Amino acid sequence: MKDFMMIFIGADYQELGLSPEQLQDRMGKWFGWNDKMEAQGILKGGNALVPVAKRVSGPDRTITDGPFVEGKELVGGYYIVSAENAEAVVKIAEDYPDYDLGGTVEIREIMVFDQ
Amino acid sequence: MEQKIVDHLFRHQYGKMVAILIRFFGLSNIETIEDAVQDTFIKATLQWRSQIPENPEAWLIKVAKNRTIDILRSVKAEKNRFEKVAHKVVSNHTNDIFLDHEIEDSQLRMIFVACHPSLKPKEQIAFALRTISGFNSKEIAAALLIKEETIKKRLSRAKKVIVKNKIKFEFPSANEVQQRLDRVMEIIYLTFNEGFHSTNKTKLIRKDLCGEAIRLTKLLLKKEKFRSGNLYALFALMCFHASRLDSKTNSSNEIVNLEHQDRSKWYFPLIKVGNNAMNKAMEYEVISIYHFEAAIAAEHLKAKTFENTDWNKILYWYSELYQLQPSTFTQLNMAIVNLQLNHLEVAQRILDQISIAKLEQRAYLYYGCYAEYYVKKKDIVMAISCLNKAILKTHNDLEKDYLIKRKVVLKSL
Repeated sequence: MKDFMMIFIGADYQELGLSPEQLQDRMGKWFGWNDKMEAQGILKGGNALVPVAKRVSGPDRTITDGPFVEGKELVGGYYIVSAENAEAVVKIAEDYPDYDLGGTVEIREIMVFDQ
Repeated sequence: MEQKIVDHLFRHQYGKMVAILIRFFGLSNIETIEDAVQDTFIKATLQWRSQIPENPEAWLIKVAKNRTIDILRSVKAEKNRFEKVAHKVVSNHTNDIFLDHEIEDSQLRMIFVACHPSLKPKEQIAFALRTISGFNSKEIAAALLIKEETIKKRLSRAKKVIVKNKIKFEFPSANEVQQRLDRVMEIIYLTFNEGFHSTNKTKLIRKDLCGEAIRLTKLLLKKEKFRSGNLYALFALMCFHASRLDSKTNSSNEIVNLEHQDRSKWYFPLIKVGNNAMNKAMEYEVISIYHFEAAIAAEHLKAKTFENTDWNKILYWYSELYQLQPSTFTQLNMAIVNLQLNHLEVAQRILDQISIAKLEQRAYLYYGCYAEYYVKKKDIVMAISCLNKAILKTHNDLEKDYLIKRKVVLKSL
């Protein structure tokens, strides 16, 4: 088994102006997905990210405050799951609830370093 | 994560949160409070994924309150005001617990704000659906069959008027209460009717509007000072109508008229609640249009079959209603009842007195009724011609389907 990170990009609820009813509906779908992965014992962790950021760059360590990108490019959160291979994660990612809002899931294998 | 979040929690909680926060931060901050409540729900959708709080309602109110303070704090110009406000909040509520009766009380105040005479009636409905019932402008637009842009304009104007006129977050004075309540009841009844008569494709929206109207009336009835025969009668009327909500459309979402509704699907517990309210309504001296309309609705419910309907009694109630408050819709209904009684000439006389323009978007009902008149007269050509006019006048797909099907039936006669 390998570990993969599913990175959720776009579908910023704030920007989309969803109603309370729609937000609760979304939340229910995330619960459902979460529960499903937990029942399968594949979910190893994950977090949602606050949509404001600080960036440090350049030799002078210049600090800038975000947001830097549009909502549709913003990383909103991630999950780490264990699976046989990337194809299996693609299958898992089919249940991500926000495709209809323009959201994207990027799947990346977590690199393991030899001892 | 076994714990389930109750259906519509967010929407129902929206109104409570806005009301209680306005109580503490004032109506002038309504815009900020709405933003803070919205932010709170977004936060919940993210944070609750890993852990649902033990008391979701309390969590929402607490986070929204803190968020409001944060936003106000970040608005520099309002800094002084914020400090005063924050101090007041802290001294009143050290542990963030709001009591149910405080929340209810705040929501009731909000109802009177929404129905304030300085707002136009159309703004009152939009504003009430937004701030009390937690619909967003898109949902209001869908429910009222109005463009979203129009709703946004109404909401924004309503908020401006409230802030500009410095409307207070309090109940009207004792000598004003009944008059203000009349308007509140009108808005509630309009909301209910939008839900009941709307043929919106989503059944949910229909039911939600009716449910909200009933919920708000219940809230008002809890307070002795707001109780009146009219309010009880309005409550009874809405219960009677709502009991038939599920039988109004069939499983393929087609309209089923009263004659063909499955009467076993009527929801009897609600009828019983309505009957109790009606008995209370009769204990008061004043008789309102709601009394008569409830009596008519009850008469329909009493009939075991459509054929058993006591049309004479219904006609009597309609005439009483018309005496009290003449309206074109009541006239139209009287024409329909006369048709049922085969008083064809009377029906025609009434129909010819009606000014169609006053029926606005419901003018198709007039032509539909005239069509049935000609059916009874066995003049199918004229009946179909009237139906065609009705079809042209309706903008609603479900109504259109219904009328077209009726036309097919007539053509085959």
